[in-house]
Amino acid sequence: MLQFLIRRTFGAILTLFLISAVTFFMFFAIPQDPALLACGKNCTPDALAVIHQNLGLDKPVPVQFWNFLVGIFAGRDFAVGHCSAPCFGVSFSNQQNVWDTIVDRFPLTLSLSVGGLIVFLIVGLGAGLIAAKNKGTAIDKVFSSASLVLTSMQIYFLGPVVLGLFVYSTGWLDKPSWVPIGESVSGWFMGLLIPWLVMSVIFTANYTRMSRSTMIEQLQEEHVRAARAKGMSSRYVFFRYAWRGSLIPIVTILGMDLGALFGGAMVTEITFGLPGIGRLARDSVIDKDLPLTMGVMIVSAAFILLFNLIVDAMYAVIDPRVRLS
Amino acid sequence: MSIFGTRRTRAAVIALAAGSLVLTACGGSNDSGSKDNSKTQEDAAKQSAAVTYGDAKASTGPAAEVPGAKPGGTISVLQEDDFSHLDPGQTYVSDGKILDRLIQRGLTQYQEDDEGKQTLVGDLATDSGKQTDGGKTWTFTLKDGLKDQNGSAITSADIRHTIERMYAPFITDGPTYIQQWLSGSGTTYRKALPDGPYKGKHLPDSVLATPDEKTVVFKFKEPQPDLPQALAMPGYSVVPEKTDTKEKYDTAPVATGPYKIAEFKPGKSLKLVKNTNWDPKTDSVRHQYVDGFNIGFNHSDDDQTKTLLADRGEAKNSIMFTGQVATNQVRNVVEDPEAMKRTIQGYAPYVWQLNFNLDRMTDKKVRDAITYALPSAQIYKLDGGAYGGETATGLMSPTTPGYDKTYDPFGKLKKPNGDVEKAKQLIKEAGAEGKKVVYAYANTPVRQQQSVVIADRLKAIGLEVVKKEIDQATWYEQVGKVDNGLDLYMTGWGQDWPSASTVFPPLYDGTQLQDGSSVYSHINDEKVNKEIARILKITDPAEAQKAWGALHRDIVERINPAAPIYYTKVFQIFGSNVGGLRYSADSSYVDVTRLYLKK
Repeated sequence: MLQFLIRRTFGAILTLFLISAVTFFMFFAIPQDPALLACGKNCTPDALAVIHQNLGLDKPVPVQFWNFLVGIFAGRDFAVGHCSAPCFGVSFSNQQNVWDTIVDRFPLTLSLSVGGLIVFLIVGLGAGLIAAKNKGTAIDKVFSSASLVLTSMQIYFLGPVVLGLFVYSTGWLDKPSWVPIGESVSGWFMGLLIPWLVMSVIFTANYTRMSRSTMIEQLQEEHVRAARAKGMSSRYVFFRYAWRGSLIPIVTILGMDLGALFGGAMVTEITFGLPGIGRLARDSVIDKDLPLTMGVMIVSAAFILLFNLIVDAMYAVIDPRVRLS
Repeated sequence: MSIFGTRRTRAAVIALAAGSLVLTACGGSNDSGSKDNSKTQEDAAKQSAAVTYGDAKASTGPAAEVPGAKPGGTISVLQEDDFSHLDPGQTYVSDGKILDRLIQRGLTQYQEDDEGKQTLVGDLATDSGKQTDGGKTWTFTLKDGLKDQNGSAITSADIRHTIERMYAPFITDGPTYIQQWLSGSGTTYRKALPDGPYKGKHLPDSVLATPDEKTVVFKFKEPQPDLPQALAMPGYSVVPEKTDTKEKYDTAPVATGPYKIAEFKPGKSLKLVKNTNWDPKTDSVRHQYVDGFNIGFNHSDDDQTKTLLADRGEAKNSIMFTGQVATNQVRNVVEDPEAMKRTIQGYAPYVWQLNFNLDRMTDKKVRDAITYALPSAQIYKLDGGAYGGETATGLMSPTTPGYDKTYDPFGKLKKPNGDVEKAKQLIKEAGAEGKKVVYAYANTPVRQQQSVVIADRLKAIGLEVVKKEIDQATWYEQVGKVDNGLDLYMTGWGQDWPSASTVFPPLYDGTQLQDGSSVYSHINDEKVNKEIARILKITDPAEAQKAWGALHRDIVERINPAAPIYYTKVFQIFGSNVGGLRYSADSSYVDVTRLYLKK
């Protein structure tokens, strides 16, 4: 197990390096001088040269990449001051330390993603189990139909509808906003309630359908039927044997969905005007702000890989065969 | 100034444009509001009145009390985008200008009345300046008791430093008027002080003198009658020498106005609190009624409008800075009498025009034909409708002194949707049927929608249209090239202060034509160039205004370098607990210097 985790960790580090390299070199394939964006409307060749120098753009691209990597571990100096490790550089557009900006924005995206994850796992898996338990009944049909409808929903459509109904028209819920949990737990919860619910809808529907079908399959399995034949209670068999078995494919899909969850958080942040990593990523791409793009890419990728590692470890908990192997 | 001053502003306008698109798609109506109570030419006439110059009395604080105003509370500001700059020297666009009014001060500023009439008064200076030598020399005297947020006195050395740092290479986005008047046109002025004041060099006293701690003397080679107005630009707000941190100043400037920055989270929020070292006795315009402003970013126009229209909770204490009523919400606002009481309207200074690249569009008959043909009303309906625009009849904005509302050489007022027959006839006379024209437009939702209308109309009059979509981020860079390979492209431009001197020279002075210049039509007419040079030296504002008007007619009728399409308007809504709301002709948005909370 330990060897497995060590192997996966090295794989994750290599993946991060490749993502960094590909992003960095792709950026320079864009036929536009990034310094022009920082140069403003009164740009002169002298001013452009100063910006090239300040941003380190006067050096060959491989050297820039090397400096970027060194900065992450050892820090770097820029015209606006020293950038301590981990240094992802300073933003081309506002000269801010990229790492500080990411650290400032990350709690929102983490809150949004984890909160959304909890909502869709609880609601999605719960609804799937209820539907499976009541297979063929009206409850099953309602849950299955609802999941079909919700699967076709999009955050950017559902978000404004929910805002219109529950915020602007009735005022029943607070307008989405970001209040750090350290400042106010209720403010944090109420500010993210609508984004959590809206973001989780599309995932919830998928997990309802998936857990329903895998649960129904599991209930047909021989070991489940054997447990029943032994006289175990229905509830014990349902949760101890069938549900546990149905979790394996769900955990597999969950690992793959973590990337989509970050993507969903990005759309959610833009839909509700929340200043998280997703919105930062969008702005950095629009602004052709390489250090910010790199920082966001690497940190996001690192977290997706970390979550995947956790999911891999969870296999061992759920499925004893992994432990044995 | 270009309507897209910087990348961030572009983003804001793109967002506005996106809102406009939604309006058209969802509204399904020809007009944005069923009751057209939008601003009219009469309102514009007040806005375009020539600025008067105030004396020492008008420049002496404190400012006249706003009736009913109360102290206390914090106003929330909903903004789409972060400010592109906080360094005054880098500030040029509207959102920065509004913030500057709260936290910074310059030598002069505008004092406005409820009718929009503007009087230029001294801000840090005791008056709006004294000219001698036929307008070549201007002297300003600083008021007593001026301090920055740290409590340090503001002296003439700080004013010198403020001007000289504008020469430094890292200052790339601010205004260049005064540097060019002092040290040379184009970018040559930078040679006079290549490193700014940072390596011990200064402008000679023959150019900029500070004989004592209170006196600043500008000395020009040519008369500069507009200097007091140029000095009111946010770009020339004072940067005290001791506090200057060069590039770093852009994220942590030191305040001299009634508020100072308490916390800045780029892309998220900016909090302003009272600057206790600002003395109201030294300021004849600004107030300090509220305790502070919490500015939050990432609020689209649609979000801002819905939040403020709903007027619930904190929204009651909220305002827009540069946001506008989203086009898809205009109807909801204008049909709600209570909401309309919380709105302001006014003309913005921008004129949207379709530039002809005169290097390629050489036949004036073809240019005239296109001008006659363009359906202005259809085009601005895609950008806010009656509350967002109005058919343009010329290249001068209704907010510019000298604007003549009766001037309509292409009969646009009678036919705001264009005169196709007349255009076809001109195309036939020119023998240009089937002529290929390359029409470029930016890839924003509004410009894309408008491009359909424009291209259809060009085809309808017999031209073959090649559409070319250009990334908004590089739009002005690409159309600003002399060899841009394009025939037609829309740009917006507005005055930097109420004078045509900030419109005609940058747009139509052929001597400035080069890559990156704003002479988008590539006009280079000797008569026009000479006339611009002549008018710029006229010191009598009334005479200059008359001369600009005559030049305007000459450019439009003899050359026609650009087809006027529409003038722009501003329509904003605010929370019900915010008092002192008034449109500012200076900023083209709400006057933030006098706001208070009612409860």
